[in-house]
Amino acid sequence: MDKSEIQERVIKVVCQVLNTDKDMVEPSSNFVFDLGAESTQSVQLVAAFEEEFGIEMEGEAALSVQTVGEAADFVAKYVK
Amino acid sequence: MDQNKIDGLDSIFYPKSVAVTGVTQTPGTVPYDIFYNILASGYKGVLYPVAPGKKSISAVKAYRYVSDIEADVDLAVIVFPAMVVEKALEMCGKKGVKAAIIISAGFREVGPEGIKREQRIKDICAEYNISLIGPNCLGVINTDPTSMLNASFARKMPSEDRIAFLSQSGALCTAVLDYARGKNIGFSKFVSFGNMAGVTEIDLLHYLHQDEKTDVILLYLEELRDGRGLMEAAKKITRGENAKPILAIKSGRTPQGADAASSHTGSLAGEDSICDAVFREAGIIRVNTLDAMFNAAILLAYQPMPAGNRVAIVTNAGGPGVMATDAAVSWNLDIARFEPKTTAKLQESLPAVANIKNPVDVIGDARSDRYEAALDAVIKDANVDQTLVILTPQSMTDIQEIARGIVKVQEKSNKPMACSFMGASDVQVGVDILERAHIPHYILPELACKAMANVQRICKWRQTDLTDFAPLPVDKAAAQAIIKDLPKGYLREDQALDVLKAYGLPVPEHKLCKNADEAVAFAEKIGYPAVLRVISPQIVHKFDVKGVALGLKNAEQLKKAYEDMVAHIGNVLPEAEITGMLVRGMIPAGHEVILGAKRDPVFGPTLMFGLGGLFVEVFKDVTFALAPIDEGAASRMVREIKAVSILQGARGTKAADMAGIEECLRRLGQMVSDLDRISELDINPLLVGPAEQGSAVADVRIRLDG
Repeated sequence: MDKSEIQERVIKVVCQVLNTDKDMVEPSSNFVFDLGAESTQSVQLVAAFEEEFGIEMEGEAALSVQTVGEAADFVAKYVK
Repeated sequence: MDQNKIDGLDSIFYPKSVAVTGVTQTPGTVPYDIFYNILASGYKGVLYPVAPGKKSISAVKAYRYVSDIEADVDLAVIVFPAMVVEKALEMCGKKGVKAAIIISAGFREVGPEGIKREQRIKDICAEYNISLIGPNCLGVINTDPTSMLNASFARKMPSEDRIAFLSQSGALCTAVLDYARGKNIGFSKFVSFGNMAGVTEIDLLHYLHQDEKTDVILLYLEELRDGRGLMEAAKKITRGENAKPILAIKSGRTPQGADAASSHTGSLAGEDSICDAVFREAGIIRVNTLDAMFNAAILLAYQPMPAGNRVAIVTNAGGPGVMATDAAVSWNLDIARFEPKTTAKLQESLPAVANIKNPVDVIGDARSDRYEAALDAVIKDANVDQTLVILTPQSMTDIQEIARGIVKVQEKSNKPMACSFMGASDVQVGVDILERAHIPHYILPELACKAMANVQRICKWRQTDLTDFAPLPVDKAAAQAIIKDLPKGYLREDQALDVLKAYGLPVPEHKLCKNADEAVAFAEKIGYPAVLRVISPQIVHKFDVKGVALGLKNAEQLKKAYEDMVAHIGNVLPEAEITGMLVRGMIPAGHEVILGAKRDPVFGPTLMFGLGGLFVEVFKDVTFALAPIDEGAASRMVREIKAVSILQGARGTKAADMAGIEECLRRLGQMVSDLDRISELDINPLLVGPAEQGSAVADVRIRLDG
């Protein structure tokens, strides 16, 4: 899976979980500051990424990811 | 306080518009509750929720960024998690927001990463001139009806009152608010200032000094970062025309720090002891419990200041009257002696079995008429400065009527009054009436007496003459020349004495002699009897190695003592390198006092005074001050110790030269302020005789820093 596809699917998940329009989400968007993610939603995001990509991520490291772009890079480490 | 700081704090307490940045839609979370509290408190300005991804919060239009708000924003309350607080604050700065409250935790209190994060916050505030409260705090409350701001996550808005509360601890604040509400106490301003990355407790004290809505300031501190700054600020606030009392709790005592020090002064001058001194010299009334703090605060806020310390007690119960009398006397209050006309009035209006002397016992079956008559009589007595009313609930005691009667009498009086309706359940109806009328009520009369005593401390402080520090003539250059090239560590005794001498302390004539002949020659010059003291870098405790010989009457004795001492030390401590012997004259006997100094990492140079010699170890009867000290502070220091009566001439003994001790303390204070290499110093003992004899330094240790 190439990077742009991963990013596309990450943005799709973000929009679903945070109930946000796609045009509000950019790779530089900070989950909390730009997209208003609450602490419980951060956990939901990690779970949704795992389901979307069929992967299992290291929880604490995953929760420390701050932006959409960083999330795509983080997911990419787990996707074959 | 400069205008920029005042404007910044005005923007915190009286903002025309507030943006809460990082609001969520989840009730019961800090970000939501803060927004809701501002909304629900009746805030008089305009409120903007900044909540990315949300269209509205509690039916108020939400903004994605603070920069999206079209109008100006005075205050931003930042509730974002710590990791994005910088971004939020920077955006506020660019928007021109004047002040910010950062509620979020995760800064200095969490370690090195947090310290770096907090520094970046400070930098942003400096760049954009943002006045900052926090981070890591509960928030700010202003009950002034023109603002009505509850920018906190406290459960309820307190009622408007004349008391301001400042706290370094956020969690304590909610407990204090609940405690105060339970006692019908409100607040003017309520500030949890957290990590103090911007606004400090000193800034807030200055601001509240000018705040027309505040009469009394309560302060809870866990650390003192600028003890001298606090002292200077409090001195201005607690005295003068617009004097406002400050009551403070300082927690976080650190005896471990004191244990690490090596000298007497070092081990006794822990942070807490110095803090006591700072508060005393600043006029801050230090209390140890919230109860004691509020007990005094309500008396100060709700009642006039008493003209003196004479108290009248009116009670319907003999036992509690006596207990109150004991407590009053033990707290240095005087039991008023009534004028004859008061006694006559009491006699006329009370039953024959009543006690018409102070404490006035109106007897157990007293109803409101008897209380009112007694109170009216004593309160008008010229010998009475304040009144304490005690009630115990008998079957015929008309509690509510008595409370109303007390309120009626007090309304016509300009003297302070306190009440103690003893009990809990039956008396509550009366307590409510008293508290609503702002007559301080205490569950026990002893607590009322303690509160009155704390008020007396404030009265006394306001009457204390303060003088400016005036340097005494000293030879600073000579002292500097002695220590200039010396390594870190203890000064040799002769050098230490020379440093003291340069600062005008009473040092006996002395000389370091390298051999017995030289010692004899010097003793002949100063006259016998002489004293011989070994000087060796390896010998700290001279008496342990018989390194001191006293009362040597002639050359023969002196020579023998010299040779014997060298021989003895050679046997018991062969590794000791003997530099020589200090020769000096005998010092006449006198009171042994200790004068000490220590350079404290927080407070800088500090002074200690107490009973010296062995007593310092046993009784620890010592007091402290920040150096340098003026005449007044020196006098207060000397009179602060419990054993002062010994120095003043107890049981017919001659009084010690108090003025001489005070001058020594002033000179020492000047010395440790001038010579910043001195880290610790003990003069123990200074032998103090009567005024005509004066004082003399019998032993001294001075330690230098590198």
